Amino acid sequence: MNLNFPYNVELRFPGDLEYIPAIRKFVSELLQVSGFSQKFAYRSEIIVDEICNNAVSYGCTGENPEIELICSLFSDRIEFTIKDQGGDKINVEKLHAALKTADLNKVEEINRGLGLEIVRMLSESLDVAIDKNNLTSVHVVRKREDI
Amino acid sequence: MMNVEIKEVPATQNAVILRFSGELNSESIGEICSSFEKLESEEKKFAIADMTGVSLISSAALGEFMGARKRFVEKGGDLVFAKMKMDIRTKLNLMGATKIFRVFSDIRSALNAYKWQVERNPEVLHLKFPSYLEVVPPLRQLISRIAKLKGYSNKDSFRIETIVDEVCNNAVEHGKQGVDQKIDLKMSIDPQKIELDVVNMSDPEKMDSLKALLKPRNGAQGETSDSKRGRGLALIKMLTDELTVDCSEKGTSVHIKKVREE
Amino acid sequence: MESQIDLVYEDIRGKVNAKLIRFIGDLDATNVETVLEKVCSLFNEGIRDLVADFKKLRYVNSTGLGILLHFSKSAKEKGGSFKIANINENVYEIIEIIGATSLLEIYDELDEAIAALE
Repeated sequence: MNLNFPYNVELRFPGDLEYIPAIRKFVSELLQVSGFSQKFAYRSEIIVDEICNNAVSYGCTGENPEIELICSLFSDRIEFTIKDQGGDKINVEKLHAALKTADLNKVEEINRGLGLEIVRMLSESLDVAIDKNNLTSVHVVRKREDI
Repeated sequence: MMNVEIKEVPATQNAVILRFSGELNSESIGEICSSFEKLESEEKKFAIADMTGVSLISSAALGEFMGARKRFVEKGGDLVFAKMKMDIRTKLNLMGATKIFRVFSDIRSALNAYKWQVERNPEVLHLKFPSYLEVVPPLRQLISRIAKLKGYSNKDSFRIETIVDEVCNNAVEHGKQGVDQKIDLKMSIDPQKIELDVVNMSDPEKMDSLKALLKPRNGAQGETSDSKRGRGLALIKMLTDELTVDCSEKGTSVHIKKVREE
Repeated sequence: MESQIDLVYEDIRGKVNAKLIRFIGDLDATNVETVLEKVCSLFNEGIRDLVADFKKLRYVNSTGLGILLHFSKSAKEKGGSFKIANINENVYEIIEIIGATSLLEIYDELDEAIAALE
C-alpha cells in the first residue's frame, strides 16, 4: 500500500436521496483500501448515510441543491465534513435540538433525531455550524479502534 | 368530497403539481377529468399528483389517472404520485397500480425525476482525490453504481467503469504523485450520455512517455515498455464517442463523452 | 432509484396467520417506503405474526430501524408479533446503540423465532 496519511477525498453530488447508497459504499470501500478494518468501514458507512440523509432531507433548498462531503483520512481516525445549503440559523438550531437524545417512542415518525443519535454514538465528536459561505456544516470524527 | 389545486412549478415549462385532497371516488371523476384536460390543453407534459390530503381513492378514480398517464407518456412525459399516505399506497399496490405509477416520497424527488426525464438536465458529480492508485477501484465502482442508478444498463455501466479506471490510472501514473497532488474528476450524466473530465498536474519527468502514449500505435511496432498504459488509452478510444487529451507542462486534462448504447 | 432489497415470503407450517419474510440486501432511506408498503399489505391481508430472517440483510440505517419498530408496533396492535432472527453483528450493533434491542423481539436462530410463535 502506497497511501500516505493524512489525505482528503472531496465529493460534490446532487442533493437527492438516491445518490446516497453509492456514496456510502464508496466511503466504505475507500476506507478498506486504506487499511481500515471492515467493521470500521461499516460503521463509517452508517455515519455517512445518516449525515447525508439529513443534509438531503433538511438542508437541500433551492433549485439544484448540492451536497459537499469531505472525507479526511488520518492514520488513527476519519473525519467527515458535510455541507449543505440549509445555512440559516433556524435550521442549525433545529439540528442542535435534534442532537439531544431521540425519543424512541416517537421513532416511527422517522425523525431527524434518531439518525443523528446513531452518528453521535458511533463517533468521538459531532459539531454543527454555519460556515462563511452560509452553508450548514456538520463535522464528525471517528477514531480507529484497531490500532 | 374532493378538492384539487393546480400549482405551476417555477422555472419549469412542462411540469405542474396537482394537489388533491379528500376522497377520490366516482363523484369526483368529473373534476379529476377536467383537471387533466386543462393540463393537456396547456401542453403540460409532466404532472405530479400530490396526494398528501387524499383519504380515499376508488378504482374508478384510479382509472382516470391511468388514462391521463397514458396521454402524458405518449407526449414523452409522465404522471406520478407523491406524498401518498401508507394506506392509500397499500391500496394502490393491491390494485397493481404501483407497477404502473412511480410513487415518490416527496415533491423534490418527483421534480428531480421530471428534470431528468423531460428536461434531460444533466446531473453532476465532482470528485477531488489524491494521486494514489488505491483510490481508483472504489472511484470507478462509484461511477458505475451512479450510471446504473440513473438507468444505464449493466453493460453500459461496465464500459463507463472501464473508461474511468483507465483514465484515472493514467492520471495517477503519468501525473505528479503524492498526497498534495490532486486529481479532479467531473462526471456529467444525462439520459443520453455521460461526460467525464479528468484533470491532473503533469510530472515534467514523465511528459515524454505521456506524449508517446498519445501518438497513434502502429501494430506490433507500437509495442513499448509502456504498452500496458498505451493499451489502456487505446481501449478508452474504442469505448468512447469522443476523447480529447490536452497535455502540457502545467497539467493534463482529458475530456470523454460516452453516448448511451442500450 | 432505490437501493437493492428483496423480500422473499414463505408460509410457516401450522400457522395460518403468520409469514416468514427473508430480507436480502440493504434497508435504507431509498427503499423503506416500498418495504413498508409490502409488509403493511400482509397485515391488511390478515397476517398477524411476522418472522423476519435477516441472514442476508447486510445493512440497516436509522430509517430502516424506524420501520422495524413500526412493524413491531403494528403487529402488537393486531394481537400478533414481529420477530427477527439471524441478525448479523454489524446490524445488531446499530440496533443496540440506539437502544432498540428491548423494543424488538430478537432471536439468534430462525427456528427459535418460529418456535416462539403462539
